[in-house]
Amino acid sequence: MHEVTKQTSWSRRKEDKQKRLARIRSWLSGVLLPTDRIVPALERLLAPGDRVALEGNNQKQADFLSRSLSQVDPKEIHDLHLLISSVSRSEHLDLFESGIARKLDFAFAGPQSVRIAQLIEERRVEVGAIHTYIELYARMFIDLTPRVALICADKADRAGNLFTGPNTEDTPTLVEATAFSNGIVIAQVNEIDDNLPRIDIPSSWVDVVVISDRPYVMEPLFTRDPRQINELQILIGMMVIRGIYERHGVTSLNHGIGFATAAIELLLPTYGGILGLKGKICRHWALNPHPTLIPAIESGWIESVHCFGSEVGMSDYISHRPDVFFTGPDGSLRSNRLLCQLAGQYGVDLFVGSTLQMDGDANSSTVTAARLTGFGGAPNMGHDPHGRRHSTPAWLSLMVGDTPLGRGKKLVVQATETFQKGGVPSFVESLDAIEVGARSGMAIAPVMIYGDDVTHVVTEEGIAYLYKAAGVEERRAALSAIAGVSPIGLRSKHNSVSRLRQRGLVAFPEDLGVKWAQATRSLLAAKSMEELVTWSCGLYRPPARFRTW
Amino acid sequence: MTTTHTTMDQRHLSPGNSFIELRARDRAFSLLDQNRGVELLGPFDRLESRWLEDQGIVAQADDGCVIVLGAVGGKSALIIAIEGAFQGGSIGETSGMKIAHALKLAHMDCEAGTETAAILLLESGGVRLQEANLGLAAIAEIHDAIVTLKQHVPVVAVIAGMTGCFGGMSIAAGLCTHLIMTRQGRLGLNGPEVIEQEAGIQEIDSRNRQIVWRIFGGSQRYEMGFIDTLVDDDIRQINQSIRHILSRPYTAKPLSLCLERYQKRLSRINVPARFDYLPSASE
Repeated sequence: MHEVTKQTSWSRRKEDKQKRLARIRSWLSGVLLPTDRIVPALERLLAPGDRVALEGNNQKQADFLSRSLSQVDPKEIHDLHLLISSVSRSEHLDLFESGIARKLDFAFAGPQSVRIAQLIEERRVEVGAIHTYIELYARMFIDLTPRVALICADKADRAGNLFTGPNTEDTPTLVEATAFSNGIVIAQVNEIDDNLPRIDIPSSWVDVVVISDRPYVMEPLFTRDPRQINELQILIGMMVIRGIYERHGVTSLNHGIGFATAAIELLLPTYGGILGLKGKICRHWALNPHPTLIPAIESGWIESVHCFGSEVGMSDYISHRPDVFFTGPDGSLRSNRLLCQLAGQYGVDLFVGSTLQMDGDANSSTVTAARLTGFGGAPNMGHDPHGRRHSTPAWLSLMVGDTPLGRGKKLVVQATETFQKGGVPSFVESLDAIEVGARSGMAIAPVMIYGDDVTHVVTEEGIAYLYKAAGVEERRAALSAIAGVSPIGLRSKHNSVSRLRQRGLVAFPEDLGVKWAQATRSLLAAKSMEELVTWSCGLYRPPARFRTW
Repeated sequence: MTTTHTTMDQRHLSPGNSFIELRARDRAFSLLDQNRGVELLGPFDRLESRWLEDQGIVAQADDGCVIVLGAVGGKSALIIAIEGAFQGGSIGETSGMKIAHALKLAHMDCEAGTETAAILLLESGGVRLQEANLGLAAIAEIHDAIVTLKQHVPVVAVIAGMTGCFGGMSIAAGLCTHLIMTRQGRLGLNGPEVIEQEAGIQEIDSRNRQIVWRIFGGSQRYEMGFIDTLVDDDIRQINQSIRHILSRPYTAKPLSLCLERYQKRLSRINVPARFDYLPSASE
């Protein structure tokens, strides 16, 4: 007979939560904590080694809570395990320098990419893993359940219901993982309002609400000024529209951030219109509300856009276009990063991204020497999900071979100029990611999109239709044919390029009917921020840093 | 010197009438009667900078400077256009000398009885650091040539944007007889990036465009009385303003004789009697 372990309690997490909350009970009025009590309250609610989900993604930041957390006494609270989607703020890393936190699981580290690389190398930060967004959220429901979640919302009512507004983003996911595992949910809000426009998070999921010293920080990460779009990017955009969107009949898609994709968005009403493609391509999007999408929306190209988050200055425009955007009964955008990432993974036919480096096998990474940016959502969108079972004409058009069990493929497109700013080649013999990964002690090199997932690569030289390649050698030859005078491009042989063009593995602009001379800025539907405002009927209000007026 | 007869490529002008969107060559031709003129030392003369290649920079066959002789409103005019897209419109040995000598040719024309006004389309961060002293010397010659030429004819500067006009070329702008700007244009001695680099981000955040334009932008420059005309980013408006200036009788009056105008303006500003930030004797 085996021994039965006597478990004294099956609700230890719950009891622990009640015990912790009791320590600050006298400071609370309902769920409301006075702003100036936040640091001692965190000291009483947290325990050393706790796993803490700190809300910070590439747009909104629970910065009042992260600043307050960095002020707790490291003698009391230390060795925290932080879960942060995007390490964007300097205090996120201060927490590790002071010893308050020790371990980190994250997805993206754009603005802190240099410092985080240093701290990891010095072993000041112990990295669990660099995830993609949904991968990190997924683990919060499996083996990385947060004990405490520090989140932010626009408004709360006195009962503790939260209005997260246009930038709902990650909040429901972080709260769900914490609240239903008997963790503690602490929300910073900009204001208290007893008539919330809508309820995004119900009060029973929230334990503490605190009014922040100033409104939470928002980054206009997805705003691209049309003035910065150059003619090579316009040429790339024209080729993508002709050689990929039109050829494969792409109706649903996601665009990464970058000037080439901004160019595509601004070329749809003009160049796409001339080609008669309106209604035939680009109708449904999983996309943040890029301001550069306004002209295409206004010209009637876009039927629907589901958003990961919002974008600074776009709120009024969005609320006046409820047929296009997902909006609440209050009229404002409802975004949700988890669901939009899923939509972008399974629901769309195509992803176009950009990269800083690509090797000869089309592996790409934005990790370069001394910069550890992480991945964000690009790998979710930028791969062929093998669990997909529905078919669309675009998906089916990538079927190769003729077997009874043949299936289609998601279009994963990388668009990049052959050289980055400052004459740095985009196509390299070996990704810096390999060395950075080794130096930081990672189990695998931080590759953003693996070459075998990439179906098309577009440069100002042309398009490589990699999915058509018969083998590795042919893939490499097709890629080098469009890699210009970069180290990879110089491998290209004239004879093989002609053969690849004949067989349709490589297309140059002239093969696609794209005229070099047409690739001018005059083709852009908007050439400046002012023109975007005009297109939006004055509803788009660019943030100050993008305004020259 | 060979010459090239060119008419402006109309294609660039078709949608909209943005002057900013035009490259230097198209800008120059867009200001001439019938858009016709003669380009002096054009790209096919291949007068490039001698210094850039060694520093890993691809030179440009016109060194980012376009000189066109033609007529504006029926009068002989010299257009000098700097290409902001090439090395930030910086002035090197070659581009600087092209400008200075073109201005001297216009002066020779004037002395010989053909009044040739000069119109400078300025998009420049100032001296090209890769050619340091040679560029500075060229800018000094440009200043000298403007001062000489304006004894005879108007020397009009247009700062349309988006590069702006800074450093030694902002001094050149200050020497001109008339200044035309758009709201998108910027004018200042030290550019925002330089100030941020030298004095720190707390002094100015060069990436905050609203702050930058509120300090250097065309509207501000107009309100302060540093420029004569504020125009929209519109080819026709810029043409009209230039033609209006050239059609009026011209009397050379150096700015140094306009002291009263500036004193009056200064007196309207409430300047504190003592500047508190100056170090006191005890420190």
